[in-house]
Amino acid sequence: MLPVLSLLLATLAAGTGVTFVAGRWARWAALGTSIAFLAEVAYLLANFPTTPPFAFTERDPWISLGWLTINYTVGIDGLALVLVLLTAILQLATVVYTWAETKEPGAWFGLVLLTCLGCVGVFVALDILLFFLFWEAVLVPMFFLIGFWGGPRRRYAALKFFVYTHVASIVMLVGLLAIAFYSGAPSFDYVDVVGSAAGLGASMQVALFVALLFGFGVKFPIVPFHTWLPDAHVEAPTGGSVLLAGLLLKLGGYGLIRWAVVVLPTGFAHATPLVYVIAFLSIVWGSVLSLAQRDLKRLVAYSSINHMGIVLLAIAVGSQLGLVAAVLLMFAHGIVSGLLFMVAGSVHHATGSRDIASIGGLTPRTPVLATMTMVGSLASLGLPALISFPAEFAALLATWERVQYWVLIPLVILVVTAGFYIWMMQRILFGPPRGLPDRTEDVPWWEGAGMGLLVALTVLFGILPALLVNLIVNSPVALPPFP
Amino acid sequence: MTTSLPIGPFAPELVVLAGALVIFALDAAGVRRWRIEAFGGIAAAATALALVLVTADLGFGPLAALRTIGAGTVDGPVGPTALYAFTSLGLIFQAIFLLSALLVALASLSRRSDEPGASIFFGLLLTATLGMLLTAAAADLIFLLLAIEVTGISTYLLVGYTRRDPRGLEAAMKFYIVGALSTALSFFGASLLFGAFGSTNFVVLGQGTGPAPYPYLALAGYALLIAGIGFKLTLVPFHMWAVDVYDGAPTDVSAFLAGGSKKIGLFGFFLVFAGPVALTAGRSVACAANGCTPFDFGPTIALTLGVVAVVTMTVGNVLALLQREMKRMLAYSSISQAGYMLIGIAIGTAPAIAGATLQVFGHVFMKAGAFLVVAAVAGLGVGPLIDDWAGLGRRRPVLAVAFALMLLSLAGIPLTIGFVSKFVLFSSAVQAQGWFVVLAIAGLLNSALSVFYYARVLKVVFLDAGPAGGAPAGNTLPVGGLGWGRAAAIGLAAVAIVAFGVDPQPVLGPIQAAATHFLSVGV
Repeated sequence: MLPVLSLLLATLAAGTGVTFVAGRWARWAALGTSIAFLAEVAYLLANFPTTPPFAFTERDPWISLGWLTINYTVGIDGLALVLVLLTAILQLATVVYTWAETKEPGAWFGLVLLTCLGCVGVFVALDILLFFLFWEAVLVPMFFLIGFWGGPRRRYAALKFFVYTHVASIVMLVGLLAIAFYSGAPSFDYVDVVGSAAGLGASMQVALFVALLFGFGVKFPIVPFHTWLPDAHVEAPTGGSVLLAGLLLKLGGYGLIRWAVVVLPTGFAHATPLVYVIAFLSIVWGSVLSLAQRDLKRLVAYSSINHMGIVLLAIAVGSQLGLVAAVLLMFAHGIVSGLLFMVAGSVHHATGSRDIASIGGLTPRTPVLATMTMVGSLASLGLPALISFPAEFAALLATWERVQYWVLIPLVILVVTAGFYIWMMQRILFGPPRGLPDRTEDVPWWEGAGMGLLVALTVLFGILPALLVNLIVNSPVALPPFP
Repeated sequence: MTTSLPIGPFAPELVVLAGALVIFALDAAGVRRWRIEAFGGIAAAATALALVLVTADLGFGPLAALRTIGAGTVDGPVGPTALYAFTSLGLIFQAIFLLSALLVALASLSRRSDEPGASIFFGLLLTATLGMLLTAAAADLIFLLLAIEVTGISTYLLVGYTRRDPRGLEAAMKFYIVGALSTALSFFGASLLFGAFGSTNFVVLGQGTGPAPYPYLALAGYALLIAGIGFKLTLVPFHMWAVDVYDGAPTDVSAFLAGGSKKIGLFGFFLVFAGPVALTAGRSVACAANGCTPFDFGPTIALTLGVVAVVTMTVGNVLALLQREMKRMLAYSSISQAGYMLIGIAIGTAPAIAGATLQVFGHVFMKAGAFLVVAAVAGLGVGPLIDDWAGLGRRRPVLAVAFALMLLSLAGIPLTIGFVSKFVLFSSAVQAQGWFVVLAIAGLLNSALSVFYYARVLKVVFLDAGPAGGAPAGNTLPVGGLGWGRAAAIGLAAVAIVAFGVDPQPVLGPIQAAATHFLSVGV
């Protein structure tokens, strides 16, 4: 069979290499790579079989020492495919949105592609070493994206991002190695690890699950390990924020489901109360903090903590519905937060400010930008027929099924957040123009195209969420039957 | 192990010795022209030939079928009276040592031909290599210490061979005094062990069963050896000399010291401590038979080595962060790398020994390679400070990329040999379970820390603007002022870093087998 996944990785790697040296043609190289990437994902979607557990698997020996057996193993299931699709969409949107980047364009587009390559690798890797390799590979380009193209405090933000996530990934690596060695897995292959981890004792499973919860949780980010995120987001350039919120946060959710919940079901079952507590904390705290923000970008950043808290809640529920909701919500948040960070960037470009309190009346001056802002905000607050609604509805339904009235916590928070978004739209979109420069231009075509792509998908998947749900439920390994 | 002295197994050592003697003889005979080319050529040829012979002994290469040591004494039994033994792990270390000497000899071929001291440099390089080869063949503590001494005396002289450079002389003096002290400590430790066990043979020491109940005497002996051999391996707190010596020595010599000769300390640790740390089985059985007290301080020694390892890597990394000079930064980074390697013997399992050995193997390319680049860049008229390297990425992109690969490998970034060796090493710590997991976490945190100072250098080299200009006047070497030899050595190191980083199995497989055998015999 055609090694499709290796081809996919090779396409991105080659595209990255060409982009780095392409000079002023870099954006065309990046665009070509993005389109080729999307075409390959379309091939995967068209040929995705429904046979469990993994499709398009490849396995080649890499290191074999008896006590340490590592293969180059890749494969994909519905859970991973949805997130690979998200990566392809966000990569294309980011490349188009930042089409006019003038500061070292070769390096900029190359690093954007490299980030996406790392994410795809994380989603398709089915071996501990390979997974870790890609996991770390995401960190380095993001460090440079923030540290070189970011705002005034970019060095501090990049360093904080690097230290937080790197320490977390070290804990994650030790946790994964411990699972493999303590359970005597015959190799680092995912399937072997899952098989032998079942033999671990309950207390060991709990300890390892908590280690992995921390390791993956920092990327989520979970309260109280979230403080890197606002700094990173505010200082990051718009494209960096889109990838950070849209993709990097998803790595945490994906890793938690794939490598912790499924691998250590007993540990997960025992640690569920802890996961609930962290999820509720993240939901409430993220929302409270976002209420206190005046900076548009900070608002979106803190609402990301809130949304990822709902993802964690859906994971904690642990039912089939909960996990489907979690994956759907990750996809939705990837699209919507990407859109909102682009909006924040465009508002800044158009008005020179991101301060919600000081600008107003954008609609007559910049109708296109205002429309994008509306769609993004309404999607984020969970309006029906937009992408977040089915995901959040499923998450809340799953929560109700398991813990009944506790669902009131996220529900009330959702209403409060919705009110806040409406207030924000009212301030900056409507009313008489305030705080605008004399000539406020509407968004340039490339920014409009990047946002337009995401708006179209927000509507499409909002009306037809079944397109995604059917993919997700066809992945039995990702979604084990729960008691 | 044989009782008569066979010549065959010693062929690599003899080739290296002959090379040294020829160089000194030609010098005495008054050769005045083409000195660098002649002496350097002899040194490179001798190390290359010895390398071929050693790899043939290991069972690789076209000569493998023709050459077997003493009818198969490789991996054969080693007796309780043996002075030396050729085991596969020892041969692998010999190959590593020869590689480091070969790289340095190749690079030094590109010295300016009017530089004085060519015969001393290349001759001493070979005698130092001879001592290293003998170290890796030791089966007896006294033999080991004597072999270390051969290397030691040669390297003291190498550091100061230019004679006119006061910094080099100062470094040589420091190196000599500290080295003499460490030798004294080592021999004192050896005498205590002899008192406790009645032998200095590693097989006997490994069983840990002495004729008299003197376990604390043995413990004192081992403590002295940690200090004595620890000086060679630049373990904290015995590391003070290393930075001044690496900094003051001619840079090619620094490459040899950091990439090659200090690793005799690691193999010495393997030989001395594999017994007490790893070989516990059968100890009380043997004692029940002859009514002695078993030496059971293995866990204590392992814990001590583990603490020293963590302290060494942490101190090395923290101090490296503070350095402004390139050579001093590399020297401190070399100290921290010794800490990683020591993890291997603290754990004492075959995977851990294999991981540490792979780390030594990779270190030849990344650390010796980095020092060779430093020497090359100094030849291009760049100053000693890290900031002086600004803009090198634009002026000399290929050289800068090679240097970047070496630093990334030292930092343990994936797809380099440095990543693979650290991954194997830290995996072996988790695999050993228990408190060794702490060593893995400490090592990983230290790797994260080390990324900062390597990344800072990369930032200066690639992002900061620097002065324009090429090779300074007076540098007429080919390959843009590097010379063919140095360019070849640097290129070889860079290619090896990536090739073995992507596919480590060809070296890792034999190393793992050798480590397993090593622990089964203790030599």
